[in-house]
Amino acid sequence: MIRVENITHNYANGDKVLNDLSFAIGQGEKVSLVGANGCGKTTLLKILNGLIVPTGGRYYFKDTQITPKTLRQTALAGPFRKNAVLLFQNPDSMIFNPTVFDEIAFGPRQFELDHIDERVRHWANQVGITRQLDRPPVELSKGEKQKVCLAAVLVLEPELLLLDEPTASLDPRSTGWLVEFLGDTDMTTLAATHNLGLAAEMGTRSLVLSEHHELIFDGTMESLLKDTDKLIEANLVHVHRHKHGDVEHRHYHIHDWE
Amino acid sequence: MMKDTSALVVYAAAVIAITLVHHTGLLAAALAVAVVIAGQRAARLARKAFFAIVVFNLVVTVSYVVVSLVRDELSLHFVLLMNLRVFLLTFLGFLVADRINLFKAVSFSKTLSYLLTVAASQIVTFRRLFDDFRMAFKSRTPNPARSKDLYRHGASAASFFLHKSFLESAEITDAMKSRGFFDD
Repeated sequence: MIRVENITHNYANGDKVLNDLSFAIGQGEKVSLVGANGCGKTTLLKILNGLIVPTGGRYYFKDTQITPKTLRQTALAGPFRKNAVLLFQNPDSMIFNPTVFDEIAFGPRQFELDHIDERVRHWANQVGITRQLDRPPVELSKGEKQKVCLAAVLVLEPELLLLDEPTASLDPRSTGWLVEFLGDTDMTTLAATHNLGLAAEMGTRSLVLSEHHELIFDGTMESLLKDTDKLIEANLVHVHRHKHGDVEHRHYHIHDWE
Repeated sequence: MMKDTSALVVYAAAVIAITLVHHTGLLAAALAVAVVIAGQRAARLARKAFFAIVVFNLVVTVSYVVVSLVRDELSLHFVLLMNLRVFLLTFLGFLVADRINLFKAVSFSKTLSYLLTVAASQIVTFRRLFDDFRMAFKSRTPNPARSKDLYRHGASAASFFLHKSFLESAEITDAMKSRGFFDD
């Protein structure tokens, strides 16, 4: 589905954000992109969505190299935008339509899909916002906005679903729904998170970015969770003092709080 | 620190002087001095200053020329004076931002340091958010986006930023109050 070859990206001031990443994700794979805050997860997702042009390296979506030139060609940009979608971490940045219905229908209208009304109601029902369809999305809570954005990207029924900290604003019930949905769907998914517990639920394979912006692990979630050295290197576990009965000691932990 | 503070004081004095001088020759000479001080960065700063003011100056200049022609009182000296002054002030602003560390320059005052920190953090946050808005829209639209959607997105983003800046100002004020900032 996608292939990344030696992707490197620097900020304008020369600071490195991504350092020589190479990996491929096959059709239907469920992958978690794991790393501490600031390691480059969001930048990588934006590169995979064709929003940021990397400083170096190549990115292929279904064997087509994605470049600024590719994305200027409507015949290539249209299918790419429909089939590779990104759920942004901050739902406010995605919302701009007058009603929730229009927000979800925006994509299908852009791509001239059929049965728009039916599609919108189906996905609104899936994420549990049917009662909000006539409301302005800006008036909703952050969690509801996140569900609107989720419906707005899922309604396109894309082939590649890129998710940036998708559960950050969701309540536990919606998080549970999303985890189950990701497990059941045929879509290829790449979900970024710094929460190891969720990463294990959102993907069977994990890509781990270090704080030096390098890909330091590419394998099954199961093997990652057993690799304490990698978890420490990526700053995914932490050590603090605590008690077991009367015994107080320090060791590495994973906390699943958000 | 003293070097930065002194440079900031010189800059403030220069801004006042430039607004009081109405002689194009003097302003041109001041611009030449600024260019010499900028050295190798001069071309880049000039380009930046030009693009920062071009739309505003064009609108003002064209409006002035049209009105003056109707009234038959066009003064090319005034057109040159206005454009030169705005360009010089903008160039100087970019030169100062390029050359001095503003945080060091205002470090003599606790109040100014706080205000600068608050302003800088707001700028960084808003710039990052604005990039996200732009990218989210791009991500959801095939090329080219329709004008109606562009206007709607622009209006929505503007409203969001206005609302957010209002809320954040209130929050920052509360945070500063909580830390005793207004008790001096």
